Amino acid sequence: MLTYVLRRLLLVLVVVWGAATLAFGLLYLSGDPVNLLLPLDASPEAREDLRRAYGFDQPLYVQYGRYLIKLTRGDFGTSLRSEEPALELVLVRMGPTLLLAGWGLAFAVALGVPAGVLAAVRKGSLAELATMTLALLGQSIPVFWLGLMLILVFGLELRWLPISGAGSWKHLILPTITVGTFVTASIARLTRSGVIQELRSDHVRTARAKGLAGRVVVYKHALRNAAIPVVTIIGLQLGALLSGAVITETIFAWPGIGRFVLIAVSQRDFPVVQATVVVFALLLALVNLIVDLAYLWLDPRVRYA
Amino acid sequence: MRKIGILLVFILAALPAWAAGDTLVIAQGVDATTLDPVNHQETPTGNVTAQIFDNFYRRTPDGKYEPWLGEAKALDDLTWELTVRQGVKFHNGEELNAEVIKFNFDRLLNPDKPLKYSTYFKPIKSVEVTGPYTLKVTTAKPFPLFLTRLTYFWVVPKQYIEEKGDAYFANHPVGTGPYKFVRWVKDQEIVLEANEDYWAGKPKIKKVVFRPIPEASSRVAELMTGGVDIITNLAPEAVAVVNGSGVAEARTVPSIRNIFVVLDVKGEGPLHDPKVRQALNYAVDKKSIIEHVLGGNGVPVGCPLNPYIFGYDEKLCEPFPYDPAKAKQLLAEAGYPDGFSFTMGSPSGRYLNDRQVAEAIVGQLAKVGVKVDLRVQEWSSYVGQILERKIPTDAWLIGWGNAQFDADNTLFTLLYGGTVEGGPPQTRFSYWADPAFDKAVLEAQSVVDQAKRQALYKKALERVRAGAPWIFLHQQKDIYGVNKRVKWQPRPDELIWAFDAEIVK
Repeated sequence: MLTYVLRRLLLVLVVVWGAATLAFGLLYLSGDPVNLLLPLDASPEAREDLRRAYGFDQPLYVQYGRYLIKLTRGDFGTSLRSEEPALELVLVRMGPTLLLAGWGLAFAVALGVPAGVLAAVRKGSLAELATMTLALLGQSIPVFWLGLMLILVFGLELRWLPISGAGSWKHLILPTITVGTFVTASIARLTRSGVIQELRSDHVRTARAKGLAGRVVVYKHALRNAAIPVVTIIGLQLGALLSGAVITETIFAWPGIGRFVLIAVSQRDFPVVQATVVVFALLLALVNLIVDLAYLWLDPRVRYA
Repeated sequence: MRKIGILLVFILAALPAWAAGDTLVIAQGVDATTLDPVNHQETPTGNVTAQIFDNFYRRTPDGKYEPWLGEAKALDDLTWELTVRQGVKFHNGEELNAEVIKFNFDRLLNPDKPLKYSTYFKPIKSVEVTGPYTLKVTTAKPFPLFLTRLTYFWVVPKQYIEEKGDAYFANHPVGTGPYKFVRWVKDQEIVLEANEDYWAGKPKIKKVVFRPIPEASSRVAELMTGGVDIITNLAPEAVAVVNGSGVAEARTVPSIRNIFVVLDVKGEGPLHDPKVRQALNYAVDKKSIIEHVLGGNGVPVGCPLNPYIFGYDEKLCEPFPYDPAKAKQLLAEAGYPDGFSFTMGSPSGRYLNDRQVAEAIVGQLAKVGVKVDLRVQEWSSYVGQILERKIPTDAWLIGWGNAQFDADNTLFTLLYGGTVEGGPPQTRFSYWADPAFDKAVLEAQSVVDQAKRQALYKKALERVRAGAPWIFLHQQKDIYGVNKRVKWQPRPDELIWAFDAEIVK
């Protein structure tokens, strides 16, 4: 067990190194950042000065080596635009993004699981048709369209909720719904098919035969066993939630990392983009590890060696 | 029951707290990157720092400049005397004097730690304090742009920076300007409050809040609900919606930015012939493009400059009339009666409907038999190719916002061909080489007498008119959405100066 976790942690390191190298390579292929940092009419000397100041005048392998060495110390250099440590800028903005992703996930689980169970138990009813139609819609609506529609209805027409920014719980509602809808729909559909399958299985029939209450059968015997694929999808969806955050944060002016890195990419702010990629890679790798470990608890048959 | 109803109305009326009577909320697309006023390159950042700091010379709304924190006088071609305004204090109580100004010059001219504005002051050789409020500035060569460059000289406090360091200062700025820094929540808001002791008078608006809202339609929605008072970059398509809201309206101003198509005139192709280039200028219907593609948000212009820029000449900048018959005739005279074809590049999303403007040009040139193959690119790779002179097309659409408000920054930078013996080589943006033009713009760099410079630029513009090295299009208009309660007019330099604004009930 311990060796398994250690091996997996080593793998996380490899993933981070790979992501860091990819971020380095792709950015350097995409053009000279100095061109975007200085006004068009800046003198060639000013461009040279800046290039030297940031070390862009060195050969690529020297830059890569320096980059890796600094990376081991958690140093990504300073942002080319604000001249503050890149990692710090990224971490400060991770907070609001994780908050939004967390709420989106909570919203999705709170809505998606009961909806899926309902659809499974009332198979063939109008309730199932309605939930599954909504789930299909939820999975096919583009995030940006949903966000704009919510703004239009609840912000502009009804004026119930703030349109953009952050600061109060009210600011969270529309972005949470926007970012969580797709995941809600996935969870609902997966829960439904899982529970339907379990309801047909032998152990459920046995439980029913024992005379257990319908509620206990569904939640304790069917849902618990149907939860494994749902947990997997939650783990996988965290990636979707974080990337959905890029669009959601832009629409709602949410002060998170998604919108920040979007600007950083368009301005070729190398250190900030690299720090973001590495932090995201680390985060997703760790989440995957946690999901795998969660199986142990959910399914006693699973053993890692 | 009725009492409760009345109470409820009062509570609801008090709810939108930020749109309160004495607070101005400004929404821009992005947050500031720093609050160091001389170490950034973005208008949104400059708009925040302009409230907190004062510059040595101030840009007036018509694009001229005037003394602000002091005055500079040319003693001869290489020496300037600076007099600093007395009785000005920073927000922390520090006094403004010659030593502080000297510190500011030293900070900008430090070769080990270049700031983004250092490039504007490169010609300065030395700065010497000659009295408590006077300095002498010596330049390595005549520096006729010194006064206009002093509008970039935003004055920072000496003691405060020496004590706290540059990094702390960039997040907790202290200036002499009309508003004091209160707090900066990154990507969320920057809050400023009135400096009641401001030397130029008490600000009328008590509190200013800057909010970054990246998505254009979210900005419009906030404007229409009264959540924000001023929004930048209103899309032409949204103007009718905003004007119809009853709450806000669109306000426009011709900007300092000209949009044009650069022609690669080198080599032996058709674009090498001035007659062909003239023909292209006659074949493009500027008025129609402005009306149909830009929603009226442009002013046609027939030269590289516009009326805000020193050196502009009304007659020589008259737009080329739309005259396809004349275009065809010129093409026939040049030996292309059946037209020819060339490739043209355009960015997408950088300027107001840039790609659609390029597409309109393609359509209009087709009518005189000129076939254009349009290649649209994302801005950052496009600008890289232009800067490195590696752009693969024969022509390319681009805009130039002359932030110096002086012809030198446009004519020399974009068109100087390097034909003057012993002079500088051709600039990276120039593909044209006209000896008379080169001589005039080069000479204008070394003359401090502004009347003489005006005459030299007139000569240069005559050559541009004849040579037509570009297809001249239009001066772009900036569109703002403004709450009707705000008395404020947009300016050509894109500055939103809260000190000039007022909230009327």
